Amino acid sequence: MTAGPRGRIPVVRTLVFIPAWNEADSVAAVIAGVRERLPEADLLVVDDGSTDATVAVASEAGATVASLPFNQGLGAALQTGYLYALREGYDFCAHLDADGQHPPAEVGRLLEEVYEDRADLVLGSRYREADGGEGASEIAGEDYRPTISRRIGTSVFRFFLTLATRQRFTDTTSGMRAANRRTIELFSENYSPDFAEIESLQLAVREGLRVEEVPVRMLERTGGSSFLTPLRSTFFIFKGMIVLLVGQFRPRKVGTER
Amino acid sequence: MSGSALLLAAAEDPKVHLTAQTRILAAVIAVAFMLMILELIRRDRLQERFSVVWFVAGLGMLAGAIFPGLLAGVADLMGVRDTNVALFSIILLLLLGLALNFSVIMSRQAAQITRLAQERALEKAREQAASAKNGGEPERERLEG
Repeated sequence: MTAGPRGRIPVVRTLVFIPAWNEADSVAAVIAGVRERLPEADLLVVDDGSTDATVAVASEAGATVASLPFNQGLGAALQTGYLYALREGYDFCAHLDADGQHPPAEVGRLLEEVYEDRADLVLGSRYREADGGEGASEIAGEDYRPTISRRIGTSVFRFFLTLATRQRFTDTTSGMRAANRRTIELFSENYSPDFAEIESLQLAVREGLRVEEVPVRMLERTGGSSFLTPLRSTFFIFKGMIVLLVGQFRPRKVGTER
Repeated sequence: MSGSALLLAAAEDPKVHLTAQTRILAAVIAVAFMLMILELIRRDRLQERFSVVWFVAGLGMLAGAIFPGLLAGVADLMGVRDTNVALFSIILLLLLGLALNFSVIMSRQAAQITRLAQERALEKAREQAASAKNGGEPERERLEG
């Protein structure tokens, strides 16, 4: 529907949503950044049962807030965003983390890909090297440096997901994504609350969606701290492998001819 | 494998059955168990649909106590010489199945709770977006302080 001639601007509605769990320190800055960089998009903060002032801060910053009454996990929060996009009739949506790691300007580059109908689902990858040298350089802030355990986990997932989907992914757990209507419809109905990032990729590829990675710059978080400890990482990796294995034997939802 | 099986067969122990004492105890426990279930249902502490399986388990226990031939037959079928071992194995398997059943029920309910939470969140967000569009100044009523 958007593959029309260049120059004509189609009337499309875009939703940018931000899953947030106890991110009162950083969410306002992220909202302001999205407002500035993506003024055409509507903004939704999905509060995943925060116990701090996240809801108040986000409302104060002028964002619409969908507040889950109790913490349900990232997958459920993301699905809430996709559900909102589906029900309110948005054509495109994108989401980014509330901790300030994801520069809103980069989200705009992801959306560009789905606007131009080059992909159904676009991921921002912090590991894939930029092919050109364009953009990304003017973003202020300290570059993201992954920890050791994060790096091990990433490479394990990368291996198994590549095996499962026969497509190369470098940043499997990236929480910066853009999607079109087709992906919104799929994710709002089928999104694992347990292991959102990996399983959703596997699902999308299995359902025949065009998934693409775009290199992006990510920054060091401005607030909060990573939830990953070595023990949790190990558990996380094992869980991910089981999820991927099971996912391979799930029945497909629709016919997958491209 | 077959060697040790031969060795066991060669031992040729007499079969071990339940004693009268165990049978009386089992029957009493079974009856008490079923009465407890009835009481729980009567006080609305247990829903009927969850009670069926427990009631059947109680009846089975009672039947095993009254007719010892049943258990001995099952033990023979399993190739177990000791009836008590057969009893333990059966109960263990039943409990395993029940635990799995509960995990399935819990998973379904977790999914339902998640969807319920999402629906509520979406409704609130829609109201907020609508009032922001209409009134300019959005009215913010929040439940949590």
